[in-house]
Amino acid sequence: MKNSAIRGFMMLILIAQLSCKDEISKMVFDETNKDITGNWKVVQLTRNGEEIGKRMDLSGFYINFKNDGTYDLSEELPFVLNEEGNYTLSDPQYPFGIILHPKGQTNTVPVKFQFPIVKGERQLSLSFSLGCSTNTYQYQFERQN
Amino acid sequence: MNRPFQRLKYVYLFIGVGMTIFLMHCGLTALTVTVPATAKANERATFYMHSGAQPRIEEPNTYTTQLVAGIMVPKSWNARQNAVLTYTSTKGNGTLRMIPDSETEPVSGLNWHQAAKKMFGVGPNLIDDFEWIIYRSTQSFTFTNNEDERADLSFDVKVECSVGSENMLVSLGFYVGSSIENLRPDDTDYKKFTFSNPIEIYEGEGDLLDFVNPQLSTVQPVKSFDNDIITLSFDAGVIETELQNLDDVYIQIKAFDESDQLLGEINTRDIKSKLKPSAGKKILLDIWPRGYFNMQPNAQIARLEYFYTDGTGTKKVGYGNTDQPFKYTFRCQ
Repeated sequence: MKNSAIRGFMMLILIAQLSCKDEISKMVFDETNKDITGNWKVVQLTRNGEEIGKRMDLSGFYINFKNDGTYDLSEELPFVLNEEGNYTLSDPQYPFGIILHPKGQTNTVPVKFQFPIVKGERQLSLSFSLGCSTNTYQYQFERQN
Repeated sequence: MNRPFQRLKYVYLFIGVGMTIFLMHCGLTALTVTVPATAKANERATFYMHSGAQPRIEEPNTYTTQLVAGIMVPKSWNARQNAVLTYTSTKGNGTLRMIPDSETEPVSGLNWHQAAKKMFGVGPNLIDDFEWIIYRSTQSFTFTNNEDERADLSFDVKVECSVGSENMLVSLGFYVGSSIENLRPDDTDYKKFTFSNPIEIYEGEGDLLDFVNPQLSTVQPVKSFDNDIITLSFDAGVIETELQNLDDVYIQIKAFDESDQLLGEINTRDIKSKLKPSAGKKILLDIWPRGYFNMQPNAQIARLEYFYTDGTGTKKVGYGNTDQPFKYTFRCQ
């Protein structure tokens, strides 16, 4: 009885170790380029740290980063710009900003960017001011499959 | 067999209680502040924080730290640029410097100013247009165990700050702490904070901006442009109005440009104009004015005039429960 308990326990440790090993072998130590392509939908919106997204209808709002370096977006909600165009990351490996180049314009719009993993999925977090510079908005996007 | 165990239990209990008392007496004494009841706009006002150290230190019997002090003031005061903090104590006098934004408060992972805002909030103020700014003494101090029983360890922090150009009634926030501690939520010994009685800024610009007393209607954020998302809220708990106890309340709103030309108007009572329930008797509506009024790219909304109405539009509540509209002017400074 005691023996089988010990054996069971040992097995458990072995399984735990194996699962660890598996994880480690999957780890890539060289930082990969961040891939933000895809169609992103807003899941959270905060203004000066206060969640306001739940009170507003955000369902129609998306931003689509395409493989060819262009983006388009819906026009139904306030955003840092409303025109489609091209995008680049400030640094492909350690990006802290997305630089948006709206079509037909000479100016570029830098947007603060974070790429956290929430519940196992990448989220795209963009923060900027819309009107008055004392107000900061943070849009949290989830990739649509 | 059982007895020694029981005795041991009491010993542990005694140690536990002893430790609790020991910990409870550690750190800083309660923070009190001296803030004038009024100050003239654009002038410099002086505030004082009073506290003291109560060193209860285990081995090695000394505790070396810097004084940390913080203030919460309206953003429009530009205190980051113009506030000056100095301290006086029996261990010497000196100045405090603003902690750089690049320095992270370890528990929250935010910078010290953001961490303080998150930890302490805006106190009795009902509208949030405030910033916490945290400073640290350039000198450090060493305390020995129970030093306060032998010497006076009280200290004062003096805050000199311009009170901005706007008329307002506002409650200010103050904090003192120790630089080798952090803003962990469970600690009540090494961080002391308090909010002042309201101070009125007079002879300045604009209508009195009352942060402290409940308002029938407020607009957040206080500073915004028409491309911001603004929240109009109606608090039915402030005074009795015609709209008392109604489930459905709507906004009736007009947008004007700089030269008072009407740019847009929402008179319909539907999902677009209906307010949503919030905390207490508050209801609110978030709007993005440029989208809400379908603005052309070259048009700019300068101000809003609005009423709250019932489902038929016959019961209408305006500024101070009169037939005059509530007004909101877009401005950033």
